[in-house]
Amino acid sequence: MRVLLTGGSSGLGAALLNACVARGDRVTVIDTARCPDAVPPSVHWLRHDLGSADMAGWDAIETALAGQGPFDLTILNAGISATGRFECIPLAQHQQISRVNLHAPLRLCMLLQQRRAFARAGRLVFVASLSCYTGYPGAASYAASKDGLATFARSLRAALRRDGVGVQLLCPGPMDTPHASRHAPRDAKPGRRIAPDRVARLVLGASRRRFLLLPGPGARLAAILGRIAPQAMTRIMGRVLFDKLKGRLS
Amino acid sequence: MGLSLAQEMAARGYRVLGTGRRAPADLPPDHPLDTYLQADLSRPDEVAAVADWALAQTGGRIDVAVLNAGLGYYRPLTAESATDIAQVLRVNLDAPLQLAHALRPALAGGALGLVGSVAHRSAAGMPVYAASKGALDGFGRALAEEWRGDVRVRVLHPGPVATGMSERAGRPRNLMDSLFLSPRAVAIALLDALLARRGPDRQVISFLRVGRGLLIRGLTAGGR
Ligand SMILES: NC(=O)c1ccc[n+]([C@@H]2O[C@H](COP(=O)([O-])OP(=O)(O)OC[C@H]3O[C@@H](n4cnc5c(N)ncnc54)[C@H](OP(=O)(O)O)[C@@H]3O)[C@@H](O)[C@H]2O)c1
Repeated sequence: MRVLLTGGSSGLGAALLNACVARGDRVTVIDTARCPDAVPPSVHWLRHDLGSADMAGWDAIETALAGQGPFDLTILNAGISATGRFECIPLAQHQQISRVNLHAPLRLCMLLQQRRAFARAGRLVFVASLSCYTGYPGAASYAASKDGLATFARSLRAALRRDGVGVQLLCPGPMDTPHASRHAPRDAKPGRRIAPDRVARLVLGASRRRFLLLPGPGARLAAILGRIAPQAMTRIMGRVLFDKLKGRLS
Repeated sequence: MGLSLAQEMAARGYRVLGTGRRAPADLPPDHPLDTYLQADLSRPDEVAAVADWALAQTGGRIDVAVLNAGLGYYRPLTAESATDIAQVLRVNLDAPLQLAHALRPALAGGALGLVGSVAHRSAAGMPVYAASKGALDGFGRALAEEWRGDVRVRVLHPGPVATGMSERAGRPRNLMDSLFLSPRAVAIALLDALLARRGPDRQVISFLRVGRGLLIRGLTAGGR
């Protein structure tokens, strides 16, 4: 199987990469990090900052994708965050979040679809967040980018179904990754977070026909509550999360 | 719709400042703006200039900010270009984000209205535009909670409005257009929703709502 993965160096991305390599996939990774020394020859590592507007970098990506595809499985996973009061987080960080988490996946999808690089009977997975159901005060630009991805995924579904490609939206709750520990309140209990390996298994094993992937019973419950009472859910997030995050940066 | 919003606000007694890309000479003759600044919101440096100008013009106190500028293209993703994707995301999401960031102190005690669209859930015919409005919705949802008690933040999602945006977006005219609401009616409903003390953080400015608003206006006007 041919796989395209953005953000493969850490957290969920690293778990996805390991699981793909273990089952014999050939994986193209796009990541800002340097290629790790230990990667096997089945991995093609493209070093690129998805948040940059650098023309040469994007041209290189376009050429590389044309040579590596079509992809049976595309996972747009790369994402960054910043937590705290919106106005206390430097503007440059909000802008970088918007570019990496939203501008870049849209641009990549456009390139891939224009170059017919989504293989028939394949899948395209967007990694969003449970925040799409709960709201995320304390990470306003991050929440924006993930809601944008979710809307984009829903909007693309019909067109890609005609090409035989299944679009999927992954909305994980807190995971046990470096990202989560960086952005969670200080007293959060890591034990409650879901292991990235489990989420990776769910993604790789999911049927092409399922649109929404919610890993774990906690995430499923939060999504149901968020659907029934969206504003109440966001207010609860404000109480239990934002009140703690506020103190971090200001 | 921006023009209708400005006219309605002026009628309600506000001093209205406005911005846009066009030159001052190209503004519609019936515009009610007190002051106008020409700026392109797809350029972050010009967004910063808009914020500085607004702060200087108002002495750092803004009662109501309505972030209405927006654009989109009615076409499938295969027909998009990197430049256009960046432009739509910058104007519809990044500029509101930057303006909210810069204007926060001036908005204390006031209201911030973000103009979304009913496309914010999904729109197969304009996926990039829909994504930008979905993102704006998620942004406003979080910000409304963060600023609750200090600044009233609301995301207002109009349905189809007869403004010409739809033609500019490249959507062919069809029967649907007869269902489009007038910009004035939508502007009134939108402002009512933004200025009301109570109400949900995110609201759809629907056909029914606009109709109800017009009806109430008609009744009260008739009674005077
Ligand atoms: N029309 C609809 O059916 C509809 C439905 C739902 C939501 N909306 C939303 O409502 C808002 C207003 O739409 P509309 O129908 O009034 O559209 P419109 O007639 O095309 O007006 C768009 C406004 O945005 C300004 N603008 C566009 N690009 C800009 C840029 N780069 N920098 C600065 N200003 C810019 C334009 O001014 P200049 O031309 O002078 O730059 C104009 O005032 C938008 O956010 C739109 O997404 C519209």
